[in-house]
Amino acid sequence: MSKIRDRSIDIGTYCPQPDDQLIICRCEEITKGEIRQAIYDGMHTLTELRRFLRTGMGPCQGQSCSKIIQGILARELKISHLELEPAMSRAPMRPIEMSVLGNEVKGGE
Amino acid sequence: MTFERAGAVMKRYDVIVVGAGPAGLTASIEAAKNGLKVVVFDENAKPGGQLFKQIHKFFGSKEHKAKMRGFKIGDELLKTASEVGVEVVLNATVIGIFPDKEVTVNIEDQLIHYKGDAIIVATGATENMVTFEGWTLPGVIGAGAAQTMMNLHSVKPGNKVLMLGSGNVGLVVSYQLLQAGCEVVAVIDAAPRIGGYGVHASKVTRCGVPFYLSHTIIKAEGDTRVTGVTVGEVDGNWQIIEGTQKYFEADTICLAVGLSPMSQLLKMAGCTMEQDPKKGGLVPVCNQYGETSISGIFVAGDVSGIEEASSAMIEGKISGIAAAYSLGYIDEESLVTKAKVLEASLRSLRQGMFAPENRGKILDKTEEGYDISMNLLKRGYLTEEEVESYPGVKSKKGIHPVIECSQNIPCNPCQDACSKKCILIGEKITSLPVVDKEATCTGCGMCVAACSGQSIFLVDESQEEGYTYITIPYEFLPLPKKGDIGLALNRSGSEVGQAEVVKVKTAKAYDHTHLLTIKVPTELGLKVRFFKQLQEVLV
Ligand SMILES: Cc1cc2nc3c(=O)[nH]c(=O)nc-3n(C[C@H](O)[C@H](O)[C@H](O)COP(=O)(O)OP(=O)(O)OC[C@H]3O[C@@H](n4cnc5c(N)ncnc54)[C@H](O)[C@@H]3O)c2cc1C
Ligand code: SF4
Ligand code: SF4
Repeated sequence: MSKIRDRSIDIGTYCPQPDDQLIICRCEEITKGEIRQAIYDGMHTLTELRRFLRTGMGPCQGQSCSKIIQGILARELKISHLELEPAMSRAPMRPIEMSVLGNEVKGGE
Repeated sequence: MTFERAGAVMKRYDVIVVGAGPAGLTASIEAAKNGLKVVVFDENAKPGGQLFKQIHKFFGSKEHKAKMRGFKIGDELLKTASEVGVEVVLNATVIGIFPDKEVTVNIEDQLIHYKGDAIIVATGATENMVTFEGWTLPGVIGAGAAQTMMNLHSVKPGNKVLMLGSGNVGLVVSYQLLQAGCEVVAVIDAAPRIGGYGVHASKVTRCGVPFYLSHTIIKAEGDTRVTGVTVGEVDGNWQIIEGTQKYFEADTICLAVGLSPMSQLLKMAGCTMEQDPKKGGLVPVCNQYGETSISGIFVAGDVSGIEEASSAMIEGKISGIAAAYSLGYIDEESLVTKAKVLEASLRSLRQGMFAPENRGKILDKTEEGYDISMNLLKRGYLTEEEVESYPGVKSKKGIHPVIECSQNIPCNPCQDACSKKCILIGEKITSLPVVDKEATCTGCGMCVAACSGQSIFLVDESQEEGYTYITIPYEFLPLPKKGDIGLALNRSGSEVGQAEVVKVKTAKAYDHTHLLTIKVPTELGLKVRFFKQLQEVLV
């Protein structure tokens, strides 16, 4: 896993693929084409893709799509998926209502 | 002792365990036994994690609770947990781990903060997905989801199911789908060989389910839901070979393409993480006791690397003891002695053909030097000639066991089952079972029922002139009755003739595996391995 990525490397330009309409992130309905396009627009990490497209930010929190997106990104950057730092993990781990998030208590009271 | 923060009091535990699966439960039991105050949070309404979906008998040896069904192991763990004073809180989702081992838990409409002196994360894994045209149609589900529907909620996932993935999960769930009354139209896998245990594959094949290796899904057909699947053969570069497309009518596609550790909480907590494909993805770096880079935060089970419930339980024990040591409840000597025993037990499970170090390797001989059947790896069954080459298959006068277990897997309940010492595995639990021709088999059937792989049959040619009596393990309902005539299927699931049921034996000691004795003409004695009821055929 490398934390630094050399952005001066030229990855060429986006060219459409026959399965670009395939939905990858089901929760946010984001297609493979949109993800590939975003990569050529400069989103070279999983965290960037997530912030740009909201991939993995829906109800399942990336449990189905994150590995698939990791694969797509690695292929476009022509690197191994093992080199990609996974997207940020942050609380809350699961989607949660604002009213609950605001209803904080200290256990045991 | 309580902690003051911003004027409020947080409830404190010695150990907070996240996840009440096999790893989390054993960890909490071990910690509580050593005097620690333990709480376990699980987001599910039922504790037990994956165990409560697992209605099949487990592999391993006695110390790993082999031949027990998964959900019973779960029941046992829960009982022990409550006896030793573990507090299990359900419908409680841990949504964050923060500095100083503060944990936030969502229970009902509240977000509750707790403080632990140690934390054991045992959150398990999530199912991987694959994409193909139509993968978002209703009817495409994870194999684990299918298992949850059937075994927890008694809902049939579909009528005609195609399974993608031939690892143990794909094989076990295929068999359970058959048990639930679904038709499994095919098991396909992009890999050129079946990934799971041969014995699991054989029990699916003999029911008539075909395997297509080097195949993948091209498209899930249907407008509003799955109505069929087009699959095709792949070449060495995973590209579809033109002209190999096949269509299956199906209403459900089950995906069993691996699991990924659910390790986000650990990443969030700041533990050093690594990508390890052998462990299934992103895992925390940890020492032999499961302690992560943050002292006092431990891991156990699938979250630290995808394995089995049997290994998850040992890892859980180790982390529970290690937590007790880190908080000063036991001394170092006691930690080292206890861990040594557990590590040996873990090692014994990690041997054999399917050991982590053998992943991806093509083995052609067993540890004993027997040829490994390529037919088994490609088609899911042993040929008649192959069967006879293994040490568990010996011809003999009178009733005797025929053991069609041909791979080095960590499993030995067959040896323990036979009080007459007909079956020998020896010290190393991955060795192939050997039938001792000199020992006298009484036909008690204990071995047939105990075999987690359903690969032991009793054969008797001495009962009736011209016929062979075959006793098979049977786990389908309705149970056939004595006198029923049905179809005799061979190892590949093809019909080879008719069979008559001569005995149906059910016993408490068999634990819901029924023993069906059928009679077939002698020339079919070495061929027939399954009985298909006629009414089933007519439906
Ligand atoms: C079809 C199938 C067949 C299998 N067959 C066998 C077999 O024959 N033998 C064998 O040894 N193994 C088998 N396994 C593997 C075994 O089930 C797993 O390896 C084992 O369950 C892992 O245990 P665990 O405790 O790590 O995780 P799990 O059993 O997955 O438990 C994790 C628990 O953590 C909870 N959790 C997760 N995140 C949170 C959170 N944020 N807050 C609160 N709770 C949380 C979950 O609700 C869950 O209850 C099989 C698995 C499958 C899918
Ligand atoms: S039937 Fe009974 S006696 Fe015969 S091999 Fe099996 S366990 Fe042993
Ligand atoms: S024959 Fe023995 S070792 Fe083989 S699957 Fe059955 S119980 Fe396990």
